[in-house]
Amino acid sequence: MTIVEDADDLFLSSAQEALRSTDGDDALRVLGWRDLFGSLDEDPDTRLGVLAYFRAQGRELGTSGALGELMAHPYAVALDDRRAMTATVERHSARRGSRAVVVGVPRSGVVLIDRPGHGISIVELDTLELRPIGLSDGLALHEIESDLTGLPVALGEAEAVPLRTQSVLLGRLAIAYEILGAAETALAGAVQHARDRTQFGEPIGHFQAVRHLLASARVDAAAVTALAHQSVERFPALPPLHDAILKALAGRNGRRICERSLQVLGAIGFTTEYDHHRFHSRVLVLDALLGTSNTLTTQIAVTLRASSGLVPDLHPSAEALRGS
Amino acid sequence: MSSLAASAPAEDAAHADIVSFAAGFEAWLLTRPAALVNAALPQPSTDDRMVAMRRLMGDLFAEGWGRWGWSEAFGGFGGTIMHRAVMWEGLARHGVGSMAAFEHLEVLGPTLLAMGPPEFCAQAFPGFLNGTQTWAQGFSEPDAGSDLASIRTRAVLNGDAYRITGRKIWTSWARFAHWSLVLARTGTVESRHRGITAFIVDLGSPGVEIRSIAQANGHDELAEVTFDDVVVPAGRLIGSLDGGWPVAMHILSSERGTFAWFRRCFLLHHLQGMLRRGSPGADGLLGDAVLDLAGLGALSMEALRVHELGAILGPRAAFTKLVLCAAEQGLFDWALASDPDVVIDPFDEQGLDLRTAYLFSRIVTVYGGSQQMQLDTIAKQILQLPA
Repeated sequence: MTIVEDADDLFLSSAQEALRSTDGDDALRVLGWRDLFGSLDEDPDTRLGVLAYFRAQGRELGTSGALGELMAHPYAVALDDRRAMTATVERHSARRGSRAVVVGVPRSGVVLIDRPGHGISIVELDTLELRPIGLSDGLALHEIESDLTGLPVALGEAEAVPLRTQSVLLGRLAIAYEILGAAETALAGAVQHARDRTQFGEPIGHFQAVRHLLASARVDAAAVTALAHQSVERFPALPPLHDAILKALAGRNGRRICERSLQVLGAIGFTTEYDHHRFHSRVLVLDALLGTSNTLTTQIAVTLRASSGLVPDLHPSAEALRGS
Repeated sequence: MSSLAASAPAEDAAHADIVSFAAGFEAWLLTRPAALVNAALPQPSTDDRMVAMRRLMGDLFAEGWGRWGWSEAFGGFGGTIMHRAVMWEGLARHGVGSMAAFEHLEVLGPTLLAMGPPEFCAQAFPGFLNGTQTWAQGFSEPDAGSDLASIRTRAVLNGDAYRITGRKIWTSWARFAHWSLVLARTGTVESRHRGITAFIVDLGSPGVEIRSIAQANGHDELAEVTFDDVVVPAGRLIGSLDGGWPVAMHILSSERGTFAWFRRCFLLHHLQGMLRRGSPGADGLLGDAVLDLAGLGALSMEALRVHELGAILGPRAAFTKLVLCAAEQGLFDWALASDPDVVIDPFDEQGLDLRTAYLFSRIVTVYGGSQQMQLDTIAKQILQLPA
């Protein structure tokens, strides 16, 4: 009787290898990552490759413009614009409202700014005033400080809506994978610590309280992995709310995994001498983009209660069961 | 294709294709067969639920839908576990509240057919499928719960039969069952998991006594089963002599893995039914439950696929089981937070069904291996922490 193991993902390991030897944007070039965009809709293996990069980036704490490039893809296709383009990533600030974030080290090129309600604008990056934000996780993030009102509109709101849905869907999938990569690496560090650290004359991994913290974190990671893979497989025919559910699950579980790992690490995990804080920070930062897990979780509930019909994802079709 | 499939009778070979089967079955459900309508009514008592479910299973078998997903050698029409997944999803969506004793079709059915005596299974299994002869699973004992390897129920070979003596407890659906799988010790007590054998016991045999146990949720499907020198023909073994442990692990892989898919179907049915009464103040709980239900959907789908390929999940089934616990408890936490009537004033039969389900959700972290045992399994076998 065969017992299943984790599937070995070739693209994931090559991406990690590339990220260890060069910076993120160069790794994308070495991997031929952008060449995969063409068959995103048709081929699940290609999609898995494109998204595995983000899991690798989370594991290696790499930084790149991959998220913005992937999110720009649906617009670039619609506009038939072949320039190197990065899309801004939305986040919500309690003080300042909706903010546009450039992810990755800013380089020259064009930025696609999506302003819900006002359509899409495309501007040269070096005309924008940028302010660095973020945490100690190594991911370069800049918020646009320039006044965006009155920017020329490249694509009106009506045309932007369906493209925005696709763009946000891709962005949330990518972020879920990157959160997973960072959180599972934080967990691996805590598991190793539980094997090595001795107290009361034995490794702390002998103690059931510690074992259960780590095992619970592993369950949280398994749920995110399974849902993320399922999303990649069924893309683009994902039911409404699916991307919000995946992103919220990744954010909630990712934070929980990091918190449990930190608890096992003890004080060392709270220092800059140990790398836990960087993975933990990466998860926190990513959770803040494209809807926090808290916001999305509530939105999901509100939408569900307001809908009189069935939420399709909750009742998958026979096609989904067959995996076609 | 759908309209063709929808009009084809259940035995049509085209239904080997899962999409065709789903369309055909849905069309049948939409005719609102009397047994379905009856099984979808609230059934506050365990006995009433069993009567309704036996009738429904009988009709599903007679019509043919209930035979898909099971091998022709054992009374089925062929196909895979995906057929069963589609069938139960449809039944839940059309209002059937639970599988009752037929949950053992998914918990122990696959193991019985894979490791049981083929001739016996060919003769007995159709009775399970058609609802006339259900099964129970005798694992736990008064002194062997989480520590299953310490069971003391004994089987001794005497001529061409074994004689079984001992006591099983928390045996679900035993009161209604014709057959039970019974784990009994054939080696020394010190042999632990190596000296255990899985037997097929006719619960109508002399020496079997079944005492139902009233549960805190108002149901009484649990039972204590006593075996006093019960005669079991020597050929009624599942797996080999002293090979009961792999049989138990195979069953638990289904109970903690694929079974979560089937259970989730009924949770979604509850969710749908309760949405209108959801309180805005409890939205955080609802959202959290939906996240876990989605994770559970993906994990249990993986489990179905693995099973379809002829493999088993092994320790990874603990993931599915633990996410099921979170989803089920989260869902009912939300139900209670939305409306305290759930426990204090059920009001009508539907309310009673809901209260029963709420109370049952408090124990999901215990049955089929406690949450703590599942976490230990993950710590040891997946994280490989030192024991």
